[in-house]
Amino acid sequence: MLAIVQEFQSVIKWRELLWQMTSREIKARYKQSILGYFWVILNPLAQMLVMSFAFSVILRIPTNSASHIPYTLFLYTALLPWNLFSTSVTSSAMSLVNSAPLIRKIYFPRSILVISTIIAKLIDFAFALTVLIIFFIFFKIPITLNLLWVIPILLTQLIFTLGLSLFFAAANLIYRDIQYLLALIISLWFYITPIVYPADIVPNRFKFIFQLNPMSVFVNAYRQTVLGGKSPDLFSLFIALIVSFITLSVGLLYFKQRENTFADIV
Amino acid sequence: MKTPLPTLFNMNNTVIKFTNLTKKFSLQKQKTFKEFLPALFLGEQTKNNFIALDNISFKVKSGETLGIIGPNGSGKSTILKLIAGVTAPTKGKVYVNGRISPLIELGAGFHPELTARENIFLNGAILGLSQKEIENNFNSIVKFSELEEFIDQPIKFFSSGMYMRLGFSVAIHTHPDILIIDEILAVGDPNFQQKCFQKMEEFKKNGVTILYVSHDLDTVIKFCSRCLLISHSKLIADGSPIQICQQYLKEKTNPSF
Repeated sequence: MLAIVQEFQSVIKWRELLWQMTSREIKARYKQSILGYFWVILNPLAQMLVMSFAFSVILRIPTNSASHIPYTLFLYTALLPWNLFSTSVTSSAMSLVNSAPLIRKIYFPRSILVISTIIAKLIDFAFALTVLIIFFIFFKIPITLNLLWVIPILLTQLIFTLGLSLFFAAANLIYRDIQYLLALIISLWFYITPIVYPADIVPNRFKFIFQLNPMSVFVNAYRQTVLGGKSPDLFSLFIALIVSFITLSVGLLYFKQRENTFADIV
Repeated sequence: MKTPLPTLFNMNNTVIKFTNLTKKFSLQKQKTFKEFLPALFLGEQTKNNFIALDNISFKVKSGETLGIIGPNGSGKSTILKLIAGVTAPTKGKVYVNGRISPLIELGAGFHPELTARENIFLNGAILGLSQKEIENNFNSIVKFSELEEFIDQPIKFFSSGMYMRLGFSVAIHTHPDILIIDEILAVGDPNFQQKCFQKMEEFKKNGVTILYVSHDLDTVIKFCSRCLLISHSKLIADGSPIQICQQYLKEKTNPSF
C-alpha cells in the first residue's frame, strides 16, 4: 500500500513527462494516415457490426431476460470497456520494450511509460464513447442517476488494468514470449467474459468463474447500470475491488523489484 | 545562466563519488522459454556473469572537466550509466549531487514521426524540464540548432547531423550541474562542432562539471582538466590528460592491454 502511494507521488512529480509521453503516444499513432483519429471510432464500430451479425442474427444469442435492449447496444456497452482493457494491457506489455533506447540512457520513473500508454487508451475510449452516446439517444435509453455508478466501476477497472499492465510490461522485458502468451490469454479471456452473451445464461456451477473474473464483474455492472438503470451487484463489485488492489500490489511489487535492472536487460 | 559566484564558492565540493564500485551484468544465455526450459531441467548454467566494472573508486569535484578514455567495451559507458542513475551498482556505492544532463546517444528521446517542435518538448520533458522552462528556452534552442526552416518537419526526414544538433541544443538548455558527453561530437559538421566546444567552454567557465568520453585524444588533452584511463573493467590511471593519453598510446601497442 505504501509502495503504491510512493509510486503515485513520484509519477505526480514527473507529471510533465507523463503528459508529454501521453501526447506522443496519441500524436504519433495516426501520423501519415488520412482518417487519423477517426480509426479509434471506426474500429470498434466495425467490430460491433460484424459481431452483432454473427452472434445475434446467426447464433441468436438473447440479450437480457426481460428487457428490450437491441443486441448491438447490448454488445457495444460491454465491448468498449473490454477494448479499453485489452488494448491497454497488450500495448503496455510492449511499452518498455519499445522505449529501450530511453531506458538505457536516461533516468525517470519507468512506470510513466506504462501509465502514459493506459491514459492514451483511455482517451481513445472517450472518443469511441461518443458513438455509444449517439446510440443511446437513438434508442431512447432512459438516463438515470444510476449512470453515475460508471465512474467507480471504471476506476476499479483501471486499477486492475494498471496492475496487470505493470506486471506484463516488466515480464516482457525479460522474456519476449510474454507478449505472445498475453495475446493468447486475452483472446481466451474475451470468451469467459460475458461480452457477446448475457451473464445470466451462465449455468450455476460455472458462476464462480465469473465471480472471480473482475472483467466479468465490470462488464456486467456496466450493463446493469447503463442499460438496466439499476444499481450494480455490490457484493461482486466489492470482490472485484479487492482482486484489483491485490493485482495492483503484486504487479507494482514485481515491477519495482526489477526496475533497477531494466537498463541492463532491455 | 548560472552566476559563477555560488559555483566558485562550491569549487571543492565532491559532486560524483564512486566507492569500491563493482558492476556485474548477468547475461541470460537463453533468451526464450524454448531454450531456457531444457537448460533448467538439464541443470545447465542459465546465466553468464560479466564484470563491467571491477572495484572502481574515484571522486569528481565540482567544476572539473573529466575525460574518460579507454578501448571499446572497457566500461566507460557503464560509468556514465551509473552516474545517470539508469543502472544500479552490484557492489559499492555511487554518489551524485546535482542536475544531470546526459548527452548520450543523442536523440534517444526523439520520436521519428513527430516534428522537431514536438520533439523539443518531448525531449525536454525527458530531461526533466517543465513545459514552461521549455517554452522560455524554445527560441534559443531552435536558434542554436540552426534548424529554423525544418522546425515543423517530422524528424524522420532529418540527417544524423541534424538529429545531433537538435539533441545537443535541447540538452545544453537544461542548465545542468553535470553534463555527460559520450562520443557524440563525431557527427555534425566542423562548424557546429566548433560551436559546441565554444558552448562547453562557456559551461566550464560557469563551473559546470563535465564528463567527456571520447576516443579523440587531442580534444581530451585540449578540453579536459583531468583524465581517467579505463581498461578491462579496471581503473588503470588517473591524472593529467597529457600524461594519461601518452600512457594510453604506449599501452595500446601492448597486445594484452
